[in-house]
Amino acid sequence: MREGRQGLLAELERRGVTRREFIRFCGAMAAALGLPGGASAQIAGALRTAPKPTLVWLEFQDCAGNTESFLRASRPTVANLILDTISVDYHETIMAAPGTQAEEALARVVAESRGQYLAVVEGSIPLADGGVYCCIAGRTALDIAKRVCGGAAATIAVGTCATHGGIPGAAPNPTGAVGVGEAVPGLRNLINLTACPMNVENLTALIVYYLTFKQWPPLDAERRPLFAHGKLLHDACERRAHFNAGEFAEAWGDEGHCNGYCLFKMGCKGPVTFYNCPTIRWNEGTSWPVQCGHGCIGCAEPRFWDRMTPFYGHLPLTPGIGADIDRVGLAATGLVAAGFAVHGVTSYVKRAAERELPAEKSVPPPDRKGNGP
Amino acid sequence: MRPLRPIERSTELARVYVWEWPVRVAHWVIVGAILVLSATGYVVAHPPGRWAPLGTVKAVHSYAAIALTLAFASRVAWMFIGNRWAQWDQLLPVRRERWRGLGPTLEWYLFVLRKPPGYVGHNPLAGAIYTLVFLIELLMITTGFAMYSVSAPYWSPMHAFGFLGPLLGGLQTARWLHHAGMWLLLGFMVHHVYSAVLMSQVEANATMESIFSGYKFVPEEDVVSPRVRRATPPSP
Ligand code: HEM
Ligand code: HEM
Ligand code: SF4
Ligand code: SF4
Repeated sequence: MREGRQGLLAELERRGVTRREFIRFCGAMAAALGLPGGASAQIAGALRTAPKPTLVWLEFQDCAGNTESFLRASRPTVANLILDTISVDYHETIMAAPGTQAEEALARVVAESRGQYLAVVEGSIPLADGGVYCCIAGRTALDIAKRVCGGAAATIAVGTCATHGGIPGAAPNPTGAVGVGEAVPGLRNLINLTACPMNVENLTALIVYYLTFKQWPPLDAERRPLFAHGKLLHDACERRAHFNAGEFAEAWGDEGHCNGYCLFKMGCKGPVTFYNCPTIRWNEGTSWPVQCGHGCIGCAEPRFWDRMTPFYGHLPLTPGIGADIDRVGLAATGLVAAGFAVHGVTSYVKRAAERELPAEKSVPPPDRKGNGP
Repeated sequence: MRPLRPIERSTELARVYVWEWPVRVAHWVIVGAILVLSATGYVVAHPPGRWAPLGTVKAVHSYAAIALTLAFASRVAWMFIGNRWAQWDQLLPVRRERWRGLGPTLEWYLFVLRKPPGYVGHNPLAGAIYTLVFLIELLMITTGFAMYSVSAPYWSPMHAFGFLGPLLGGLQTARWLHHAGMWLLLGFMVHHVYSAVLMSQVEANATMESIFSGYKFVPEEDVVSPRVRRATPPSP
């Protein structure tokens, strides 16, 4: 398949993508990447001649949700075709080759395209008990990740499991699951394209950026691309005006919910989540969870399963006590007040009794007991 | 209740200027800001409806936050330039004399000692608790800045604090800490107002008035020169 590599445009033309569709796609990519208008022509120019990148897709402790996102297509868009025309040389779920043949394909890419291929990782890597909880062809996930990602031009961790351990890594994390960055520290060009699952529009935009500029876009502290994770979801949400005005859904199906009011009181985690979900949306931009009337659960944040639960509550429960912080706080403040009330009464009674005694003549030093005449 | 007779002292009372105006101004700005911040913060967490539009409530929260931050910063600065009762070592009980004083003060509160050990400024226990209070205020400022920075206008220098979010374990964790901190401060306030009233009554030294006027009335024997006071335990 590497012999047959040609420019992407040729491939697209063969598949019947019109010039007009192609230009529109480049404009949409420039917008998704937050680039100025002129970038659209630059993207078009680069994609015309760009070689098909070789890509291997590793799956570890995953649910194939990101593969689902990758493959989802209700109508063939240019984006699908761009991804289709990448040489996906290894992908357990969708490749035709089975068993040994498949493993050979992977070994060939690692050996022959060293430093040139892209490694996509889906699913977490278990570190407990020598990594026995996830083995493929007799090798542990950690071993495979080290070998394959170590030789890649870049590693793209897709979905929350590959980026931060995700659901297998949620407390109590029996398999010691972690993301790629933690399992294989010091990887060259690691990009965390997180969320549950990652949105394929962002993967496409990421690859388009790479093909156009021959480098990777700016990342945040979690190594997430800023174009996708640079902005608070809450600040881009179409229900934000309702939030500012104090208009909320208070129960599922109530008047506020039917009116499309803000879902903050239903536990929406938009105010603490960095993601472009409201702008790119899902299923070719059809809709996204808040638009459908369900709050965000913060899937694009590290360890969201531990940190964002309860999904329908405003704040995490109090560690060790398990109750809502306002109840705990109110009870504690009440206890303090009650404690001091008791102290006050005791103090009054004791000193009222003291009044009967002759007054003492000196102030006791602080290190001596002052009681008793 | 009949007003209590104050504990009798053997010596004359001296009028001492303890709390300089920066300490008093910082105290009352902080108190006011915390009350406004707690009320608006609670509304942000549990929005009551249209009559309290969150856009406005959050703006008020932010202005009060500026007041708190400035008052906090000025009080911390004053810990290094103010008089000896405002110094940082009156709060953090690191010096031996202060460390040793913790026990007797606690004993007095627990009715073991019948009279409070005499201190002109804060007693060591109060100082240690105020240290915690300043730390909680710092926590509120840190978590508040972390939450504010991410939604600041694009030109705002507040973006510089964006790095705090991941350090605090994400914004949802920061939000919880911020919320829990509010309860710690409110709980402290209950204790604090009670002790201030108790101290004023028992010591009759105008502790309560002192945070308004700056002056306390203390037995002359408790007022010793700074050098002596630092070098020896505060015994008469
Ligand atoms: C003693 C001081 C403070 C108290 C008692 C306080 C209280 C609160 C409370 C209870 C909340 C709601 C948290 C939740 O969502 O559950 C809140 C939110 C917030 N506070 Fe404070 N706060 C204080 C200081 C500050 C400071 C110094 C800042 C600095 C900018 C700040 C900025 C914020 C921000 C940005 C939010 C989030 C608003 C949102 O969720 O949209 N706060 N505060
Ligand atoms: C949340 C609210 C409050 C906080 C965080 C707070 C904090 C403090 C702090 C840190 C000090 C030490 C002064 C310094 O060294 O700067 C102090 C002293 C004092 N505060 Fe407050 N305060 C609060 C509310 C109040 C209220 C409502 C009152 C009065 C009813 C009050 C009365 C006093 C008095 C009398 C002192 C002097 C105590 C002494 O001599 O040791 N405070 N407060
Ligand atoms: S629905 Fe969620 S993200 Fe949208 S404005 Fe309300 S709280 Fe923010
Ligand atoms: S709304 Fe929030 S939880 Fe849902 S997909 Fe978007 S980012 Fe993830």
